[in-house]
Amino acid sequence: MSSEGKYRVLVVDDEAAVLLTYRLILERQGYEVVACGTSVQAIEAIGKQQFDVVLCDYSLEEQHTGFEVISAARLRDTDVPAALLTGYATKETADEAASQGIGVMFKPIEIEEFLATTSNMLRKNHEPKQEGEKDDRGPQNVR
Amino acid sequence: MATAEIRFQPGRASGRRATQPRRPAVLRLLQAERSEEIFPLLLEEIIALGNPRALIVDVNLDSGEVMPAAALKWPRPQMEKFTSALWMQEHPLIAALHSARPEVLRKSNLHNKPLYVHPILYSNRNLCWEADRIRTASCLAVQNSRREKRVRLEDQVCATCEMRAYAAAVVVELPKNYSEQSVAELGELIDLANRYLSRLFKVEHYYNRMRDMEITIAQMGTVMQSMADPVILTDTQHRVIMQNKAAERFFRVPDEMTEGLVRAVEFNNLLFSAALSSMLVSGSDSHRDLTLVDAIEGEEMLFEAVSAPTYGPDGIQLGTVTVMRDVTDLRRADQELRLNYERLSDAEEVVRQDRDRLNLIIENVGDPIVVCDGKAKIVLVDPLAQELFGTETDVVRDTVQFQNQTKLTAYIDAFTASFADRETAPLRLYNPALRQEIEYDARSGKIFGERGQVAYTVTVLRDLTALRKMEQLKVERRMLEIEKFAATGRLAATIAHEVNNPMEAIKNAIYLLASAIPENAVPVYSILKSETERVARIVRQMLGLYRNTEQVKPVNVNTIIEDTLLLLNRQLQRANVEVQTELEALPDALIAADQIRQVFSNLVINARDAMPNGGKLRIRSRHIPGYDDLHGWVRILIADTGSGIPLEMIRSIFEPFVTTKGERGTGLGLWIVKGIIQNHAGKLSVKSRIGRGTTFKIDLPVVKL
Repeated sequence: MSSEGKYRVLVVDDEAAVLLTYRLILERQGYEVVACGTSVQAIEAIGKQQFDVVLCDYSLEEQHTGFEVISAARLRDTDVPAALLTGYATKETADEAASQGIGVMFKPIEIEEFLATTSNMLRKNHEPKQEGEKDDRGPQNVR
Repeated sequence: MATAEIRFQPGRASGRRATQPRRPAVLRLLQAERSEEIFPLLLEEIIALGNPRALIVDVNLDSGEVMPAAALKWPRPQMEKFTSALWMQEHPLIAALHSARPEVLRKSNLHNKPLYVHPILYSNRNLCWEADRIRTASCLAVQNSRREKRVRLEDQVCATCEMRAYAAAVVVELPKNYSEQSVAELGELIDLANRYLSRLFKVEHYYNRMRDMEITIAQMGTVMQSMADPVILTDTQHRVIMQNKAAERFFRVPDEMTEGLVRAVEFNNLLFSAALSSMLVSGSDSHRDLTLVDAIEGEEMLFEAVSAPTYGPDGIQLGTVTVMRDVTDLRRADQELRLNYERLSDAEEVVRQDRDRLNLIIENVGDPIVVCDGKAKIVLVDPLAQELFGTETDVVRDTVQFQNQTKLTAYIDAFTASFADRETAPLRLYNPALRQEIEYDARSGKIFGERGQVAYTVTVLRDLTALRKMEQLKVERRMLEIEKFAATGRLAATIAHEVNNPMEAIKNAIYLLASAIPENAVPVYSILKSETERVARIVRQMLGLYRNTEQVKPVNVNTIIEDTLLLLNRQLQRANVEVQTELEALPDALIAADQIRQVFSNLVINARDAMPNGGKLRIRSRHIPGYDDLHGWVRILIADTGSGIPLEMIRSIFEPFVTTKGERGTGLGLWIVKGIIQNHAGKLSVKSRIGRGTTFKIDLPVVKL
């Protein structure tokens, strides 16, 4: 939670254009957004501040994956809600994410779905709600 | 003619002549009432005409003898000259007889005075009754009367009525002063007498015949009465004219009888009458079975009635003679015999069918079969087993077959001695066709004899290597297909992934621009947005198909159906779709679970989309067993009550980018379904009716590893 009472979101994607549009969409929704293009930057940002939710591309620069970033965030805050954004996930990836309580959102993502899932994850973790959105979809089962 | 014995009394004739005036000869001759009386009267008249003496010779048509039969005033010693025979042609009397013409013998060695010889034959101007009835002119009497040709005395038997006629000759000694006229008068008198004689002869013939017939009728009656079978003579109205005692038992009502039996007799009559009528109507068929009640014993009896029409002399039917044969026992025995025969042939047919079926089974098992006796000696082999062991009769010379036999005998020996009724064991035998040793799966059973000893053992050899190899090959081929599919998938995924990120950015950018679009650019913006969404959906579908590349493993398809429905439950509820499932117990199928889940998911979502106003979704699954427990199919039916697929689209529905959903659809769902099912070596088909709904049928093969 930021000083202005906004939820702080960490969004990570190695594609600059995608990262930018995610940041803009989330900002328009009223979140405080930190956008990182690499896992290194993201882990660095996690070291600096606490996030209310982590949205992370699965495949990052070189052989890094979103799991690393989320693990780092969980080291700081064990309960932090997190979701992987990916176009392609093997069964093993999906199973691992599920076992760690990490949501998976498959690209291309419907923006309504993207926003609803994000807000859902926040609502689950923080009883006071920022937005009055109603959505019955669970964070884990996007598709 | 039996007139030879007649004694003529000359005194009586002369006396009559002396006392009263002579009546004309015609009238005197008419006095004769019997044929025997004619000759004496004739002789008397001849003498009365003034001829000194006369005699009549009679021809015995049987022996040919010719002898005097009656004489008047002819001294007996002189009569002997007139005894002769028909073959003595030179005898003047016989010659006269043969010529059948009267003649005067002036001088002959017969007599010292002139003689008048007048042959007479049975003759009439009218046909006899028989000739008249059968309308023929060949009546002997008429032929004799006409005298058209020489008459043969030997033929004096009528060809029509078989009446034996007579032949005779009147011999008269002429007076010294005889004239032609007196001879002519004599001839007329004799002819007249012969006419009377012929008439009397005819009457007597009929009289005799009547007496004979009476005797015959009496004899026939006796025969008829003494017959044990009922015989009935009926008229054309089926009224009984005559019946024998055996028939009366059934058809006549005796005086003292109960009412029931009277009715039985009436009923018998009715049945008989009906049988006669039906025989008459059917014409040719003159045999009928009749069940009658014995009026005395009260028992039912079965008769075979045989009828024959009786005809009058004019050829008109007078009635019917019916003879009835008691066939009660005969028919019963016949029926029993037939029944037994049928039973026998049925039993034989069953045995024959069983044998044929058994042969067919043995021939079609496709595995070698060996039958051994209790001492492990081969007694029967099918053609396949012959290749391995040789025939049961020949002495084995082939070393390979000998080795195989030794191995088999060792195995069968052990099995026969064991306590097990059945056994399955591996047996390595050399297969000459494949030129290698093969492991067979020997399955044996025992057939026990009457005393509980092992009479035979039956062994079926299954070539497990071939079977396993085939199954292995099948699985490998499927694995390869699935791997190929997965590889293609990974490639497509990579491409999609590359498209995916730029598209994600575009999509997001469009979203962000939404509020900044000038009013006149809104339509263009809408196109940009909707088309981008469409591309997004296509990419999503493709990635969905290839997203998870998992190993195939045995899975119960029912659990996948249930998972899919659980996942889509909320969507279906929202669309007001009622779900009905009938999931039968299934064997595990070797599948890629996620792919099959995708199939069901796609089909269920299609069903939902086809029912915008709600409806019913039915999902059924069942196991279709194959020809053995190794194979078979899992069948899944997914049916909706939606709008249906137009006929013109149904063929192309599985092709990519074909959709019934317009802009909302990608046209990839069913294409993916088809791809997945094909890669599972399954079958996919669709049935649809506009306005009624669509049913998809999926068959997935069950293959056990």
